[in-house]
Amino acid sequence: MSAPPAIRLVGLNKWFGTFHVLKDIELSVAEGEKIVVCGPSGSGKSTMIRCVNQLERHQEGEVVIHGRRFGESAAQDEAIRRDIGMVFQQFNLFPHMTVLENCTFALTWVKHLPKAEAEAIAMSHLERVRIPEQARKYPLQLSGGQQQRVAIARALCMRPRIMLFDEPTSALDPEMINEVLEVMVELAESGMTMVVVTHEMGFARKVADRIVFMDQGEIVEEAPPGTFFARPRYDRTRLFLSQIL
Amino acid sequence: MPDESRLATADRPLVFAPKPSRAPPSSAIGPIAWMRANLFSSVSNALLTLLGAYIVIVVFAAIINWALVDAVWEASNRRECLDKVGRAGACWPGVIAWIPNLLYGLYPKDQVWRINAAFLMLVVWALPLWLPGVRSKLAIGLSAVLLYPFPASYFFHGGEQDLLWTALIALGLAAFAWVWLTTFSERFTGLSFGAFVARVTGDAEQPEESARLRARIGYAVLYLAALALAAQWSLSEVPTRYWGGLFLTLVISGIGITFSLPAGVMLALGRRSHMPFISLCSTAFIELFRSVPLITILFMFNTMLPLFLPVGVEVNRLVRAIVAVCLFAAAYMAEIVRGGLQAILRGQYEAAAAVGLGFWQSTALVIMPQALRIMIPTIVGNFIGLFKDTTLVSIIGLFDLLSMARAVGEDTTWLGLFLEPFFFITLIYFVFCFLMSQYSLNLERRLGAGQRR
Repeated sequence: MSAPPAIRLVGLNKWFGTFHVLKDIELSVAEGEKIVVCGPSGSGKSTMIRCVNQLERHQEGEVVIHGRRFGESAAQDEAIRRDIGMVFQQFNLFPHMTVLENCTFALTWVKHLPKAEAEAIAMSHLERVRIPEQARKYPLQLSGGQQQRVAIARALCMRPRIMLFDEPTSALDPEMINEVLEVMVELAESGMTMVVVTHEMGFARKVADRIVFMDQGEIVEEAPPGTFFARPRYDRTRLFLSQIL
Repeated sequence: MPDESRLATADRPLVFAPKPSRAPPSSAIGPIAWMRANLFSSVSNALLTLLGAYIVIVVFAAIINWALVDAVWEASNRRECLDKVGRAGACWPGVIAWIPNLLYGLYPKDQVWRINAAFLMLVVWALPLWLPGVRSKLAIGLSAVLLYPFPASYFFHGGEQDLLWTALIALGLAAFAWVWLTTFSERFTGLSFGAFVARVTGDAEQPEESARLRARIGYAVLYLAALALAAQWSLSEVPTRYWGGLFLTLVISGIGITFSLPAGVMLALGRRSHMPFISLCSTAFIELFRSVPLITILFMFNTMLPLFLPVGVEVNRLVRAIVAVCLFAAAYMAEIVRGGLQAILRGQYEAAAAVGLGFWQSTALVIMPQALRIMIPTIVGNFIGLFKDTTLVSIIGLFDLLSMARAVGEDTTWLGLFLEPFFFITLIYFVFCFLMSQYSLNLERRLGAGQRR
């Protein structure tokens, strides 16, 4: 019997008030798979990815991570969440802590590691995203691209098995987008399970195993990049691709 | 303009070399340039500067003449002062004679050292917070807030101790000793007091269990010594009706200030809570206390509270006033804190949740430090307001600094001497409030490191 999928969304429905944001979402992501989610703004892609680590609660359906379902007990929810790292559009670094403290913070307070060990782990990840020399600075002293790479290092410090990226390059100046994408490509090559909401179609083509296209709260189609770009099945997808490419 | 003497070709683009930066011209920097730019930039501005300078000089000259040049420094009653200079100069002997009362109220003269000793104790207690190389600053600060009140209140009030009271005072004394033992041991050996005791009494090879046990024995010995000291300690009783002056003002506002911040934080969190019962209670409390003037609250607590208490239970007048001030201040602080919390972006909560922090951890470690930093000016403004608001306790018969100043002019020897004592306490209030506001600026600068936006 094969291992359960890393992420399984079953019949997911969510409303903001009376507005139906997610409609019967079904998605399964295998361990090590890379999914790129795209779609027009307001299509529910961010809400869906935020349901995966339950930053947003859904009203119907199930979110199952590595075979464990969210909502069974508070302790299990916390444990599941620790397996999922997340990177946000606005970086959301803690501005009152140095870059290094941003990374060691959760290691000391959630995993209770001694300071020296936490710093060693943090430095190794800062090296991985190529900014160890900025460790003593505060986030707001860094450029956007550097801040986003710190955010990736911060998430990796917790040794997640899944990484979620919610429009990681949308808030960046054009010349900083590549330095972040390069780090993400390396991460993908290391075998991490990734779900990335992005409009960077170059990245999608290079890295994604499947592309998921969403509109108005539904998954319209999902296909490997080759098929997705060459032969989209729906007119809605074609229209979207013609607008962004 | 970039050098265009060479023509770009398809395979040889022009080389862009940025110009080096130069220093600004000397007319743009230095004090003369600053004055020209800010004080005399136009004719009307120059006139305003001169007019302002003239007014300041006239007013200050008048005050200095009255307070220093024409003032009387030696006299035995107000009549002598008036005979010497009339009303042109200040009559300081009255204020000087009353200084002990202005500072300590009616506290017995031979016992005043107790007040000084207690304030000195607080200074010494908090001193390690500003020393480099001390790591247990949080514990030291908490001990000062939570445990200093026990020995301090015995210093102030004295009298009989029952068993619980002795135990609490001993706890305070032990904590005081611990603060300095741990400060020395951390500065010189880098170990906390417990670890130091464990190191001295046994060797490092022994298992951690036994080291922890020996550290605990160290703490127990410290507490027993403090207990023996506290049991021996005996001071005569000075009932609170003799407390007064600056001392009373500091006691009421000090307790109000220390209580209002944590209570305000809890009330603000309560008001934002998703649990309807907690949110409703916090909101009701905040709105009730904010919509009533402090004077009314003081009156209510003073006259009406005893009616609700069971017969035979009597709460001291001072305690009633302090409780009223604390609750009032907490309600105001709650709204300040809530304002600060609203300025924190939702992404900070989400980022904290995404790295696995629970509600209390993310509130205490991520949200509050940022919110409190934004709120420092408002919080300290509120502290300063509270410090001055404590003058209102005079209307329920407590002799704070303001009422003592008023009493000078009612003294038969110095009858009618009002201006001078008020001038004197103005200086006292100014010094305290100015220090608070400077400290807040300093705090803002230090905590703002790297966070300019």
